[in-house]
Amino acid sequence: MQVQEALRSWKPWVGLLFVLFLLWVPSSGIAGGYLQTLCFLTFLYVTLSTGWNILGGYAGQTSFGHATFYGLGAYTTAILVLRGVPPLMTMPLAGLIAALYALLWGYPCLRLRGQYFAIATIGVGEATRLLMLNLDDLIKNNTWLNGFLQDGVLTGGATGLMLPTPENISSYAVGFYYGAMGLMFLALLASWWVKNSKFGLGLFAINMDIDAAETIGVNTVYYKNLALMLSAFMVGICGSVYAQYMFYIDPQTVFGFPMSIAMVLMPTIGGIGTLAGPILGAVVYIVVQDRILTANLDIGTLKLSLSSMHLLLYGGLLVLIILFEPKGIVGLQQRLARWWKRRTGGVMARKTT
Amino acid sequence: MGVLIQGDNVCKNFGGLRAINKVSFEVKEGEIFGLIGPNGAGKTTLFRCITGVYPATSGRILFNGKDITRLMPHETCVLGITNTHQVVKPFPDMTVLDNVRVGAFFGRGWVQHEVKDAAKEAMRVLEFTGLAHRASSLARNLTLPDRKRLEVARALATRPQVLLLDEVVAGLNPTETDMMIALIRQLRDNGITIVMVEHVMRAVLGVSDRVMVLSFGEKIAEGTPKEVYTNPEVIEAYLGKSYAAGGAASQQINA
Repeated sequence: MQVQEALRSWKPWVGLLFVLFLLWVPSSGIAGGYLQTLCFLTFLYVTLSTGWNILGGYAGQTSFGHATFYGLGAYTTAILVLRGVPPLMTMPLAGLIAALYALLWGYPCLRLRGQYFAIATIGVGEATRLLMLNLDDLIKNNTWLNGFLQDGVLTGGATGLMLPTPENISSYAVGFYYGAMGLMFLALLASWWVKNSKFGLGLFAINMDIDAAETIGVNTVYYKNLALMLSAFMVGICGSVYAQYMFYIDPQTVFGFPMSIAMVLMPTIGGIGTLAGPILGAVVYIVVQDRILTANLDIGTLKLSLSSMHLLLYGGLLVLIILFEPKGIVGLQQRLARWWKRRTGGVMARKTT
Repeated sequence: MGVLIQGDNVCKNFGGLRAINKVSFEVKEGEIFGLIGPNGAGKTTLFRCITGVYPATSGRILFNGKDITRLMPHETCVLGITNTHQVVKPFPDMTVLDNVRVGAFFGRGWVQHEVKDAAKEAMRVLEFTGLAHRASSLARNLTLPDRKRLEVARALATRPQVLLLDEVVAGLNPTETDMMIALIRQLRDNGITIVMVEHVMRAVLGVSDRVMVLSFGEKIAEGTPKEVYTNPEVIEAYLGKSYAAGGAASQQINA
């Protein structure tokens, strides 16, 4: 019955049509593969922001250090691939290593509350980036290691790591397009499951009042760490995909603070703590970034490159969201829907009388 | 009636301040145990020592003979001790039903497999506490009396053996107070032991079987409500030395 009712609405059909469109994109060759790349990045970023949202949105623990997991995922894959492990097999391992690292610093850091946790995550993120930048030197100059790992490069320092490119690059990219799409749907499914499960209820309780949650039996330390690990696992896998797709990684890109900020921004723009929010936020983020990174102003004598203006735009957007609509685009949509209902409801009432 | 909670020389220091000093007490199964005292006497602190929010500095607290002094609040909850908060703490953006579902899902009832269906259990508790008609409204939209009821309902959904009520009637008008007291009696009749901190004397002395009085972190009296409010030391703690002396004198004249 419920299914029949749902099919009568227009929404699932539009969704299905959209998914079919996305499936058709690679074979269409719209804009010379440009749309395909853009969609691939969007899939990846939707997964990232959905992953962040489990800890930051559902459990309410704002992390500014999620680039750590992204970078660890990327480096795990790169290091293993360079040692001859098949790339796809490194993906679950990348997620697991990110999750274990999350447990390592999450356990002490999650004892902090609110903004103190956020500040600690900034520290952890930067410390990890610097560690990865200097890890090779640390190993090379360490007599204790006694020759272990000292031939060849491990992380490559600031120059990063280069992966071998496959011969047929375009079919490889198409494979990753569908792979990232599947990954995104898996992430959304996981997010939906968390939201509607006992686990999610516990996370929402922690988010809204941690003391009250604790007194009615929620093991807050355990659940917060579990949320962090799940979040890190998803982000770690994304890092692995990124490394395999780009063939080149360096600490500044994958461990950099802008990456962490991106993961905070996307769910915040879209609607923090909701299922659809991270999707909308990621789409806005990718499109804005793509449009503005290549834009130039040229009015008369004024010539201005807008390539760094996206940061300014995000900053302004963030201020507006926090001031007027803390639930982001999803909140705006709900507000519009209520307004529309009131309006049309009024019209209907007048018609019937 | 067996002893359910036993406190043994419980002390709690905050830095140099001794908030609770060597308090020993026993809460018996099935009773309503009142805890009173002037502001700052350490009532809420004692509650927090029992539930585990603050571990006691020294001394021991036993529950059913098991040492719970060092346990965390969620651990004591799963054993069967739950409290309500003096300043109500609903989960504001959840529905009333979901608020109570959290208790049903994570409390002793679920862990002991007494509760199989959290939503059903939550609805049962809401009906019992008279909140069923608000089940689908957001907790943030409740009035204060309803929030206090929600606080009790959420604690009840964990299926506690002992319920620690921290000023549940504070801020309620006389009618609402009477309704809350009726609810507390009903809980006791259902086999839940109640420990309550209260400032409203009419409420606590009317409903309690036994009362303990704290003043500046020390236990100064314990007994039936009547024994306690005629105790000169208690009168002194609440109303000052001269009043206590005068009261004692007038009692002697009357006798």
